[in-house]
Amino acid sequence: MKKGKKSNFGAYAFLIPAAVIYLSVIVVPVFYSLFISLFKWNGVSDREFVGLGNYVNLFTNDPTFLIALKNNLIWIVLTICVTMTVSLGFAVILNKQFRGRTVFRAFFYFPCVIAPIAVAIIWRWIYNPNIGFINQFFKAFGINYKQTWISDPKVSLYAIFIAALWQGIGQPMILFLAGLQSVSPDVLEAATIDGAGSVRKFFSVTCPLMKETFVMVIATLIVAAMKVYDVVQGLTGGGPNNSTQMLATYMYSQTFQYNNVGMGTAVACVMVLMMMVVIVPYISFTAKEK
Amino acid sequence: MMFKKLIAAALTGTMVLGTAATVSAATEVTFWTLNTRQEAVEPIVEAFNEANEDIKVTAAFYDTDGIKDACKVAASSDSLPHMWFNWGGSLGQFYVDNGKTYDLTDYANENGWHETYSAGALNLCTLGGQLCGYPTSYNVLGVYYNKRIFEECGIEIPTSFEEFEAACAALKENGYVPMAAAGLNGWHVMRWVELLVEHYAGTELHDKMNSFEESWNNEAVVQALAKYKEWVDAGYFPDGFLTADPNDTIMSFGSGECAMDLQGQWYDGQLLQNELEVSNYGVFAFPSTDSSRMSAFAEMTQFNKNLSEEELDACVKFMEYYYCEENVAEYGAYYNLPLPKDGAKAPEDQLNVDGMIETSNTNGTFTITDQAFPTEVADALFNAQDAIANGEMTPEEGAANIQTAIEAYQAK
Repeated sequence: MKKGKKSNFGAYAFLIPAAVIYLSVIVVPVFYSLFISLFKWNGVSDREFVGLGNYVNLFTNDPTFLIALKNNLIWIVLTICVTMTVSLGFAVILNKQFRGRTVFRAFFYFPCVIAPIAVAIIWRWIYNPNIGFINQFFKAFGINYKQTWISDPKVSLYAIFIAALWQGIGQPMILFLAGLQSVSPDVLEAATIDGAGSVRKFFSVTCPLMKETFVMVIATLIVAAMKVYDVVQGLTGGGPNNSTQMLATYMYSQTFQYNNVGMGTAVACVMVLMMMVVIVPYISFTAKEK
Repeated sequence: MMFKKLIAAALTGTMVLGTAATVSAATEVTFWTLNTRQEAVEPIVEAFNEANEDIKVTAAFYDTDGIKDACKVAASSDSLPHMWFNWGGSLGQFYVDNGKTYDLTDYANENGWHETYSAGALNLCTLGGQLCGYPTSYNVLGVYYNKRIFEECGIEIPTSFEEFEAACAALKENGYVPMAAAGLNGWHVMRWVELLVEHYAGTELHDKMNSFEESWNNEAVVQALAKYKEWVDAGYFPDGFLTADPNDTIMSFGSGECAMDLQGQWYDGQLLQNELEVSNYGVFAFPSTDSSRMSAFAEMTQFNKNLSEEELDACVKFMEYYYCEENVAEYGAYYNLPLPKDGAKAPEDQLNVDGMIETSNTNGTFTITDQAFPTEVADALFNAQDAIANGEMTPEEGAANIQTAIEAYQAK
């Protein structure tokens, strides 16, 4: 009994370095951010306590914040509906045996390793209304269609999403591939013997057996969707007229450009709370499974 | 054997101490500046460090908007470099208001800066009653135009607003985009809009509006924004200009797609960097009704408030080396010339510079809007530009929104 207790203390001692790093770079900054979100502060001068004033102001008196919130929600929906579906589709195709499969896997994963800001630069040229690939493509086929893409507030958010999709499918695709390979061929064979077709097998056997993969992919995609920043900043900077403003870009503007550090951290805290809504059920779900 | 070991230990100790002494003797100073000047600054820093063993300068580079953000973050954590590039107006003022800059007033008096530097530049670097930076350039903006295109379309340099509009119409008719514009960060489009405001408001009202003594929600601003919308609808700006990168206008202007670009005198240097023939391009002051004033702004190197005497001397010594005649002659394309010194001239290959400075002295100048405005107010103007161009906002709403942002800023 005593021996067991001693070894526990030893184990806790080994946790100290990791705990110090975790506390100093994650826990303390999070609570410090929460603390300064209760102040009116330009980042340099003295702080003025305003309680929940920054939060009240965001939700009642800040149309840009509400636009950013709406855009983030649209982005989450698009990510779940489009990114997940496309990456699952690619994973299913690339899970089949065919010549050059590895090359195609690398090919579709490749954009994932490019820095998001570089992705923004690439797509800026693709979307260029005069010399960009898309409009030139239409022109080459004699189609008289010209679109300003990222300058048009009606389509700019979706145009940015396409750029993000191009880059973003690699990661979930790899996770889905791993999930697909974990499905036992015996189970699929049994389903075939029972007379199930390909579609039925996929939805009734493969998908349920990949439940953990789905949970992981959905959670990581939602968190990534909440944090989306680089590609938006690089392509439109949140414009035109805030039409592509996201919570992360708005937080940055408030904090570093307008010197409203209290307001900026309030935006960050709202983001964290929204992400917690996803992460906490995710963790509890996976814990239950185990 | 023991003796040899003792000698070795003594020698090693001496070397270590010697190295430490050498390191500690050098005054180390850090310098943050724009990456557009990196090709000049890097060799200059290297040469300076070689020539001055007692000083070690370390430079870091940022893009135009990156340096603004990096400095603010550093100011928040009290980790500003020893010296950093900055603009005048509200951008430089932030560091003065928050006690982060070294007041160079006494140093300038003691070292005769008033006999060396132009009064205009020193004035623009004097914010909140203190000389808050080492003046590095005095910039004025004019309308660069492609001489070949103007000649081909039979256009003379416009001397009135009506002539300017007629020139735009003629250029459009001949298949050219009259004006280059790139609104990704808002400020490039703002250069055209502020000239329209200057045209409709006149000098006195415009100055009062920029200092917030007069409201922006007035008829002149509405007219200016309505004219801007008219130009957008007429196709006087390139397609998709609202999210175009300002660094790319040189491509459309240099290739002859756009006939005019609104730039400062540094543009001669950029044309040279891009191997374009400067003599093919001319510059004129935008012909606004009143006096065709040009927008202007200063650039400076701000020094950290906490500099020791040695560090201050090292910083000034480096600045003087950076802006010495030899370096300006060698890396002229990477400076905003002429230097803000009395009697300074532009390099011979930068043909438009002296003329622009001369015109600005004759016509007068006003502070460029994004330096006159704090960032959040400038962003309200940029949003109005975008929304009006896209038809999401009327000029009246745009003027009202700008004034609302000013009032919100003043209430902070």
